[in-house]
Amino acid sequence: TSPFVHNSKTTASLHPVMEVTKENVHKLLVGINRYNPENLTILHSYVEQQANERTYDVEANLAVLKLYQFNPSLFQLNIVSIILMKALTNLPSNDFSLCRCLMEEDEQISRIFYLGELLETCNFVTFWEELAQNKDLSAKVNGFEESIRDLAKLLGGLNENELTEIANAKGWQRVDSNKIFLANQELNSNSKNMSFKFEIENLASIMGSG
Amino acid sequence: MAGQEQGFYTAAEEFVGAQFDSLLPSYNTGSDYDGGIVDDYDEPPATANQTYGVPDFVRNYVRSLYRAFTERRIDEMQMLCEAGFIKLTERSFSKSPWPDADRIAPIVNNGAKAPVRLELPHQWLWNIIDEFIYQFQSFSHYRYKLKHKQENELAMLRDHPKVWNVHGVLNVLHSFVEKSQINNQLNAYNNGDDPKTVADEFGRCPLYKMLGYFSLIGLLRLHSLLGDYYQAIKVLENVQLNKKSMYAVVPACQVTTYYYVGFAYLMMRRYQDAIGSLSNILLYIQRTKNMLQDKSYQFDQIAKKELQMYALLAMAWIMYPCRIDESVLSLLGEKYDKEKFIKLQQGSLSQFEDSFAYACPKFVSPVVPDYETLSQSQHKAPYQFQLKNFVNEVKQQVAIPIIRSYLKLYTTMPVAKLAAFLDMDEDNFRAQLLSFKHKMNNLVWMKGQRAIDGEFQTSSGVSFYIDGDMIHIADCKVVPRYSEFFLQQIRKYNELVKGLS
Repeated sequence: TSPFVHNSKTTASLHPVMEVTKENVHKLLVGINRYNPENLTILHSYVEQQANERTYDVEANLAVLKLYQFNPSLFQLNIVSIILMKALTNLPSNDFSLCRCLMEEDEQISRIFYLGELLETCNFVTFWEELAQNKDLSAKVNGFEESIRDLAKLLGGLNENELTEIANAKGWQRVDSNKIFLANQELNSNSKNMSFKFEIENLASIMGSG
Repeated sequence: MAGQEQGFYTAAEEFVGAQFDSLLPSYNTGSDYDGGIVDDYDEPPATANQTYGVPDFVRNYVRSLYRAFTERRIDEMQMLCEAGFIKLTERSFSKSPWPDADRIAPIVNNGAKAPVRLELPHQWLWNIIDEFIYQFQSFSHYRYKLKHKQENELAMLRDHPKVWNVHGVLNVLHSFVEKSQINNQLNAYNNGDDPKTVADEFGRCPLYKMLGYFSLIGLLRLHSLLGDYYQAIKVLENVQLNKKSMYAVVPACQVTTYYYVGFAYLMMRRYQDAIGSLSNILLYIQRTKNMLQDKSYQFDQIAKKELQMYALLAMAWIMYPCRIDESVLSLLGEKYDKEKFIKLQQGSLSQFEDSFAYACPKFVSPVVPDYETLSQSQHKAPYQFQLKNFVNEVKQQVAIPIIRSYLKLYTTMPVAKLAAFLDMDEDNFRAQLLSFKHKMNNLVWMKGQRAIDGEFQTSSGVSFYIDGDMIHIADCKVVPRYSEFFLQQIRKYNELVKGLS
């Protein structure tokens, strides 16, 4: 007996002309139907769509990896590569390590694992060198390099040229040779030395009673 | 009343004893592993009249249990379950599991059209789900263990790949969740509405409702065993973990819940949330310890989980030293081996491995092995894989504690100078600093959110930014709120004075 509930709803959703949209995909990922390998057709399209259109859906991607975990014969290298590369673009979220926990060690994806390792340890210099030798990987995902540059900026790990490029693109002011004005760093430095302030009303009630 | 109970107990025990006497010796020889299918091949022709794989005495036991169940003889049921089940398990199933639920279900004609009008203790419902997953876990391990397997065992495994199939287990749990409409009920409950208003006759029935709830916890556990930490936490999206709940009624279930939640958060690198969850439950256990009977089955289970959680807490807190409840910290000092703690603090990878091995769940593979190519240690592969991922993370963070301790000493420091102190070349050190920022940036759950959600935060003692060649360090000290304290005192004093005059 099949463990999958094949009621009219699910059959309808497998209609060949169903549009590959986030909404439709997530309808498939409900309850036990999430584990139905027949979903892989549309899920594969959805993963490729994310690569082309610079969108990202971690839940759907993890669902694909799960289906591969349950059905190793259905494993597709290209899809997995895209999912992992996309996960890197979503750093600092740790989607990449979540993906890793769902897949057995595989020689074919070890290059991507290595790139992930470099990013997690913020070895940007080595990362860009490695990526240059693996252009086929970055080609799988539209806008991959841009996303990583954004990440590097977030963490502050850019070299001079990259910084200038981005600063110009984003309209930031160059203050002097060492500084670019982004935003008030003091406010963002997360210092919790707060100064206290009295609220006027509270103060008034006390002053008045004196 | 006591006499009557005694009567029931004796009757049940006698019944069970009688069944044992008809047992043949072959059932008492098990494999060297604590799991294995009841070996049908040893069955003599006399007992040919049985459902495949289910020995007669089990059939009879289940039938009498079902009779008691439908005739609402709750006391008898309780005795059969607690005394009978344990005895049967000790005698025949200490080395093999009970036949799985699928085979037993036909005996009791499942598939009712209307809710079974019955009340069962919540503890039992939890035990059913808990045991069910335990059987799946055990069997999954058994399948991969090559040692001492006879050819007939292997043949039987090969011929029955669907036994304890992961989809079957998922199907059971999801069915309970759907039938009980537990997610809708939880949602209503969270919004302050009466859950009964969103449930149909099945959902309103406590039996189904609680089976639904416990199945959510079952899914949390199952996904964790398979390494899917995201989905593990996701299934709890309607469960409010840090609040008092009318569903949180079984201590063993609570302990299991927070153990797996804490573990999943740890693997997701959400250290603050892991520490929070583990702290909550460890305090809970400490406070309710006296209420649980000593030596009950529950007590042992909880005690074991408690120690595992202290190990998890130690690791999480060492990787992410944030504010932690004082009492929990002192309990950690009492309950977790001090030498091990020191080794963890020193970044000993082997100690992290050992503590992880001790504290982690028993991971399983969801697929049937290739019996032709099965190797001796392949059953350990899922565990080794998750261990590798965890240790990898620890390795990436190995320099963080020492960097932190240096940063705490200064408010500004040139990058080059600190790199020299740490005996690193400057480029490498810069990468380490960025990595520090990255790793200490945690996704943290906020009030009102689902357990899977969170916002990025850093609360690990020290934060900094790099300005050219200089590091600027901000210590995260919280200034005591003198203003509010004084205002409060002034008001109190005024009230006091008013009262006197």
